[in-house]
Amino acid sequence: MLVTGGGSGMGLAMAKAFAQGGAQVAVLGRSIERAEEGAQQIAALGVRAHAMSCDVRQPDAIAAAFDEAERALGPIGLLANNAGANFPILAEDISPNAWNAVTRIAIDGTFLCSAEFARRLIARGEGGAIVNNSAQYIWTGFPGDAHSAAAKTAQATMTRKLAADWAPYGIRVNAIAAGFFPHDTSTAGRREGGVELLQNMIPAGRTGSIWEFGWLSAMTCTPLFGDMTGQVIVQDGGESLRRSLMMPDFVPPRERGDGPWGWQ
Amino acid sequence: MSGWLSGKRVRIEGVSPAIASALAAQDAAVDDSEDCDIWVHVAPPPAIRLAHELTHSEWRASLDIGLDRRFLGARDFAAQCRARGTGGAVLFVGAPEQALGADHAAAAGALGNLTKTLSVEWARDGIRVNSILTRDTGNTLGNLAAYLVSDYAAYVTGAVMGIDLDD
Repeated sequence: MLVTGGGSGMGLAMAKAFAQGGAQVAVLGRSIERAEEGAQQIAALGVRAHAMSCDVRQPDAIAAAFDEAERALGPIGLLANNAGANFPILAEDISPNAWNAVTRIAIDGTFLCSAEFARRLIARGEGGAIVNNSAQYIWTGFPGDAHSAAAKTAQATMTRKLAADWAPYGIRVNAIAAGFFPHDTSTAGRREGGVELLQNMIPAGRTGSIWEFGWLSAMTCTPLFGDMTGQVIVQDGGESLRRSLMMPDFVPPRERGDGPWGWQ
Repeated sequence: MSGWLSGKRVRIEGVSPAIASALAAQDAAVDDSEDCDIWVHVAPPPAIRLAHELTHSEWRASLDIGLDRRFLGARDFAAQCRARGTGGAVLFVGAPEQALGADHAAAAGALGNLTKTLSVEWARDGIRVNSILTRDTGNTLGNLAAYLVSDYAAYVTGAVMGIDLDD
């Protein structure tokens, strides 16, 4: 299998869950150093792992990365699209470069990697499975994080259409609308007390454990869920659901820069 | 990939051979006891009729099985969980919203938003509530049900999902 952004965080959690199921893992990262660190942790689970550097916005680079991965590990039959950047910021402060970086890594990257993967499977006459890392805020918007709100929803809506386009070829495509799974490189929780504040806000009473995200991601790609495709599964401890008709007083994003999801 | 439901007692209301066998394959104890950790409700699909040809009694029967019984059963199950001081998992299974007649569309839509509502009301009791709305009756349905009621899905609640593109 191949995982983008697999050197750390949620991508690494996905990769480890696939490895626990016996998959050999090609780890794609912007930074080869981080991809190699992730690959070492994956290899420690007893599977073969191969680290590569790749910009998922570049179709030629993606094709080359698949070539290299398939030389190292054999044909790739599963793909996890996780590569993404995210940082809280007021919409008016998002520069064109920042907008492009967040949206194109997630939107173009997910499309380009999925299409490269599918073309290879179709040419070989083999089926396969894709899982996309989407987010729990795709139905509500995410004030203070406009670039990611757009990017994560595009991933979810393309999931359904890619699944339809590739169903005749036995290629399944699903997505996880993930809640908050704290990890070393996540944005919130970096500041002191950040995670605890978030836990109190979540109906389940806790943030997610990152291996829970990995398990569900990998599960959608196994033959156990062999008929599942085009689904967006929310995994957020109830975080995205309405809790009450009463809402706290509205605080505009630009007046809450120091909260747990603050942008300062 | 087994033993997801070791030590769990499951009551299944309604008929789904795929779910029953998948839960048993994951070592759940499946029986009719009221005292259970997991409650699965499978509603049989009502006959498809044009809306203007549905009698009120047919309409009511669909809503009874597709919505009212599910709410009342979940309510009783949750009360038992709270009395025991344990969490639990509820799973509703039925057809997609637009798959059948207007009776089912009403029941399934109501069920979806009920799922989201109960999941929040009971979250701090450790009781999870999810729904699968699908035409699928095969192994994926069984395995997905087994996953959703297992502790591996402890962070999945208030989720309403299908299985294939028609769902």
